[in-house]
Amino acid sequence: MGNDQKRTAGTMIVRLCLLVAFLGGRLPVVGTEEDNGPFSTPFPSPLNADALLSSNCSQLTLKLDFSTKVVKHEYIVAFNGYFTAKARSDFISSALRDVDAVNWRIIRRDNPASDYPSDFEVVEIRQDTRSSLLTLQDHPYIKRVTPQRMVLRSLKLTDSGTDGASPCNDTRWVQKWQSSRPLRRTSLSLGSGFWHATGRHSSRRLLRAIPRHVAQILQADVLWQMGYTGSGVKVAVFDTGLSEKHPHFKNVKERTNWTNEKTLDDGLGHGTFVAGVIASMRECQGFAPDSELHIFRVFTNNQVSYTSWFLDAFNYAILKKIDVLNLSIGGPDFMDHPFVDKVWELTANKVIMVSAIGNDGPLYGTLNNPADQMDVIGVGGIDFEDNIARFSSRGMTTWELPGGYGRVKPDIVTYGSGVRGSGLKEGCRSLSGTSVASPVVAGAVTLLASTVLNRELVNPASMKQALIASARRLPGVNMFEQGHGKLDLLRAYQVLNSYKPQASLSPSYIDLTECPYMWPYCSQPIYYGGMPTIVNVTILNGMGVTGRIVDKPIWQPYLPQNGDYVDVAVSYSPVLWPWSGYLAVSISVAKKAASWEGIAQGHVMVTVASPAENDSAIGGEMTSTVKLPVKVKIVPTPPRSKRILWDQYHNLRYPPGYFPRDNLRMKNDPLDWNGDHIHTNFRDMYQHLRSMGYFVEVLGAPITCFDASQYGTLLMVDSEEEYFPEEITKLRRDIDNGLSLIVFSDWYNTSVMRKVKFYDENTRQWWMPDTGGANVPALNDLISVWGMAFSDGLYEGDFTMADHDMYYASGCSIARFPEDGIVIAQTLKDQGLEVLKQETAVVENVPVLGLYQTPSEGGGRIALYGDSNCIDDSHRQKDCFWLLDALLQYTSYSMTPPSLTHSKNRVVPPTGTDKPLPQRLEGNHLYRYSKVLEAHLGDPKPRPLPACPHLSWAKPQPLNETAPSNLWKHQKLLSVDMDKVVLPSVRLYRPQVRPLSPGESEAWDIPGGIMPGRYNQEVGQTIPMFAFLGAMVVLSFFVVQLTKAKSKPKRRKPRVKRPLYLQQQQQQTPHSGKTPTV
Amino acid sequence: MYYVQEERTIRDRTLLEVRGSDHPIQWKIKFLLGNSSRQISQCRNSIQGKRLLTDELGYVCERKDLLVNGCCNVNAPSSSQHVCKSCLANGCCRIYEYCVSCCLQPDKQPVLEHFLNRAAEGFQNLFTAVEDHFELCLAKCRTSSQSVQHENTYRNPQAKYCYGESPPELLPI
Repeated sequence: MGNDQKRTAGTMIVRLCLLVAFLGGRLPVVGTEEDNGPFSTPFPSPLNADALLSSNCSQLTLKLDFSTKVVKHEYIVAFNGYFTAKARSDFISSALRDVDAVNWRIIRRDNPASDYPSDFEVVEIRQDTRSSLLTLQDHPYIKRVTPQRMVLRSLKLTDSGTDGASPCNDTRWVQKWQSSRPLRRTSLSLGSGFWHATGRHSSRRLLRAIPRHVAQILQADVLWQMGYTGSGVKVAVFDTGLSEKHPHFKNVKERTNWTNEKTLDDGLGHGTFVAGVIASMRECQGFAPDSELHIFRVFTNNQVSYTSWFLDAFNYAILKKIDVLNLSIGGPDFMDHPFVDKVWELTANKVIMVSAIGNDGPLYGTLNNPADQMDVIGVGGIDFEDNIARFSSRGMTTWELPGGYGRVKPDIVTYGSGVRGSGLKEGCRSLSGTSVASPVVAGAVTLLASTVLNRELVNPASMKQALIASARRLPGVNMFEQGHGKLDLLRAYQVLNSYKPQASLSPSYIDLTECPYMWPYCSQPIYYGGMPTIVNVTILNGMGVTGRIVDKPIWQPYLPQNGDYVDVAVSYSPVLWPWSGYLAVSISVAKKAASWEGIAQGHVMVTVASPAENDSAIGGEMTSTVKLPVKVKIVPTPPRSKRILWDQYHNLRYPPGYFPRDNLRMKNDPLDWNGDHIHTNFRDMYQHLRSMGYFVEVLGAPITCFDASQYGTLLMVDSEEEYFPEEITKLRRDIDNGLSLIVFSDWYNTSVMRKVKFYDENTRQWWMPDTGGANVPALNDLISVWGMAFSDGLYEGDFTMADHDMYYASGCSIARFPEDGIVIAQTLKDQGLEVLKQETAVVENVPVLGLYQTPSEGGGRIALYGDSNCIDDSHRQKDCFWLLDALLQYTSYSMTPPSLTHSKNRVVPPTGTDKPLPQRLEGNHLYRYSKVLEAHLGDPKPRPLPACPHLSWAKPQPLNETAPSNLWKHQKLLSVDMDKVVLPSVRLYRPQVRPLSPGESEAWDIPGGIMPGRYNQEVGQTIPMFAFLGAMVVLSFFVVQLTKAKSKPKRRKPRVKRPLYLQQQQQQTPHSGKTPTV
Repeated sequence: MYYVQEERTIRDRTLLEVRGSDHPIQWKIKFLLGNSSRQISQCRNSIQGKRLLTDELGYVCERKDLLVNGCCNVNAPSSSQHVCKSCLANGCCRIYEYCVSCCLQPDKQPVLEHFLNRAAEGFQNLFTAVEDHFELCLAKCRTSSQSVQHENTYRNPQAKYCYGESPPELLPI
């Protein structure tokens, strides 16, 4: 925050007033449009929902922070009218021509509106500012020059209730945990998308012209004018229904209800909105107004739905031979086999499934099912400035953990923030969420399908191939956030219409040096002896629903580019079905490069075959060969002390089991479902460790499967899994030989576990956790040999440690520790007592941290901490990366942090003999989900230790070849030549660039307003008329204006908006024949 | 409170389960009796299979033995008609394509008719839209609301495709 900023806070109303006041009736009110969204929507946001639940406990106030600051050297130059970029630039240069040695430039605005005429420019002026400004002001077309301001807005829900004992404590825990909402598939719209997005509001956003309709921004009108409007394509909307006589829809073929509510109508507005984005024919136009709409009501007005409803509805969609199906829903349960199998069945029947990736961002590891499936087009959200929407779920898929690595998702991103669509009964509204982005793609897909002459070529794989090959990559965003980039409808049209059946790969190349797109691969070079780097590539096969890989993929290192320094192993789906499969590429460094540094390249060649359906020869096959370029950076193996091994194998998560959150305060999100991986919810910790120079590798196999002499520290965080006896023995030996261990534990209290059980409406059964936040009894088995143990205490609270503010969020304490160890204790609240008896008690001297040097010669060190929340991205309040640094200094370099050893909080290590150690919850079902335990008469017993994973390295077939310099520009689809399919010269009509006065926002919904493209047949007639009339008005206006400008340079009067808008249409005419930018 | 909840969910469930014939659904299926060796030039088939397909004459074959006209090549060693391989006595099969093939046996018509006359409201949309024996078998063999317990688990993952009237056997989780 700068010094020259204003800062105000108030209620929502105050905020709006401020906004209006600030904008002063002069600037286009971009904010207003979006602001309407959440107020006009009936959906409570997650925040809202929670606020409502606890409203009787404490008062929640919506607090607004509103601040502006002047941006140095930047000025907004406002013009008298709308001019092209070139004209604006000319005006400014001519105005500044006479000022000597002026150092100025125009700040580029890269957004969908920048192609269109505008009435302002942002200019950076570094020298002679005052005189330059004066000169600028004098130019006849320049209305005024003002300093650029940056506006920061944020909305917060603050708990203004009294802390401590609130009157409704007794119902609190039960009520919250009972909710199964997070488990259930939820519809993915955000009433409050903009709440999340406000952090990204900048001055440029505030000043930008408003893009009106998403179909026009994506240039669907070009295809409409070619006569394609989605006709003949059956599109299904699985949502909350649609009312019978909604004025926006002309071709609703059928509405069916699959819920227990006896209605077909939409009571929420979600389904109507989604259907509108796809197929509305007026006002806020959809993409494919002539498509055949099939409305499936699978959500009740209370947003309830069950897998079984979906199963029956999906069967009907198959019978009806639906072509495109939109699912703006999602949930974390990718292990709901009946559902996942059914989605496969649908795509296998050629239904193109488009689904929302989820609204759980910006946290990683938050992808929703079914959008995370290979056969489904998973859609993420962006705002109109091409920023990934904060809510958009991201991070790799977690199906493959712990042994493998996740796939890249979403597949594609498109507008999902403040998009306009059909209102419940009539009119338009704006909504945010990946729920919104999904129908944008589904509508585009429907429209695209209608452009293809040979519909046989359109299938779930070819459509996805066309979308991702044509998508535009967003700069500065990694592939686990944006997938292949932003939907480009017209390029997709071109690709699809020159498509020949083939296989392709996603991602289409592996460049481990490319940042940030290939994050996290690009964040850590590879070296000899490291755990192999796995890239999980998805094979898309447009040739047929089934396919297979012919022979074996071949690894071809490029000798001139050190390809022989790399070893590659490839595993893949035995059958590619439906339309897709995986190709897991494991990359390692050859021994001869153990101390080499440089870049190595090569490629993997894969041939895919599918039964030929049009071949008269029985048993005929089509084949397609794809090349996967590989580029890696190799460094010499780092010293042991710099290498950290992250134990993934012992982390369990939902699905399938109920593994509760590590922070018990987060009651509306009871499950640990983000994968607990360094590239999902421990991403910040990973980035921190990398920035500190550590190399972090992941152990996806039992502790018996790594060479401990290679690593300084084994990091075990929040482990839920049990341990094989062999693992316990091996770790003991490893630590004797110098490996160090850091454990971040979490709570485990059987009474609390019983208390946090809940009835899950989706699975219709009681859910009892199978461990606590961590599996303390198992951890105690692991560390007991050193005389250490964690307790079943449950503590919470703020404290200070070594001058750092810390928050202990539902952690345990250290129950036993060797007497020559260092133990730090803190004063904390007994959260167990609070959960169980709703009483508050403060406990002094709770041992939270222990450091211990094992006695053997050259033995390693052990550090224990009782809570993992401070290094976990989900629900973290205060990070403690400093503590992790200090612990690593201790474990890896044997440097005891003086701030801890000399702390006043140091206590005598607890012997813990007075209290029994925590026992496992009786009757828990951990064995169902455990890789270690199996059911047994009596107690579950460990299984036999599995063999360690073994990779068979591909025999290299070296090539004396050089790789292309830019890998990602290499051809993504064969036989698709972008220039071949030329779009006809069509006149584009542009999204409206009309500024909006405050208070005018209602006008947007008036059906009779002069909106281009309300109904495409009308457009062709109205626009030339308006253009002609407009031209006349503008001409006369200009004549008057020019004569007046000479005598009276400053003239303030309300701008005539429509004529000016039409004027730009007029200005456009000389270029109207140009091909759209593709 | 919890009881109320459970009662309600039980009521919700039964909505989709087979129940009495107070509102029989108006099905309109034309069964083609007996003459399954009839000659046709084009076949519809079950489309989705990973390895196997069933054509409308009830032949199951591997994908490689499918003719251009969509029919199984009856001369291929993998092809056979009206096979109930992997199907149990309760009419539930492990493999979808065999379920469809078995269901297409002419003698299954009474079972199917009986089912249709008693089918629950929840299945009304589906089975009133089905037009013939083949479409009925394709639809009937699919997993549905009848196939699951606790919503996200199959009643019997080993025999979940049923042409018969009863749902798959309920196995403990």
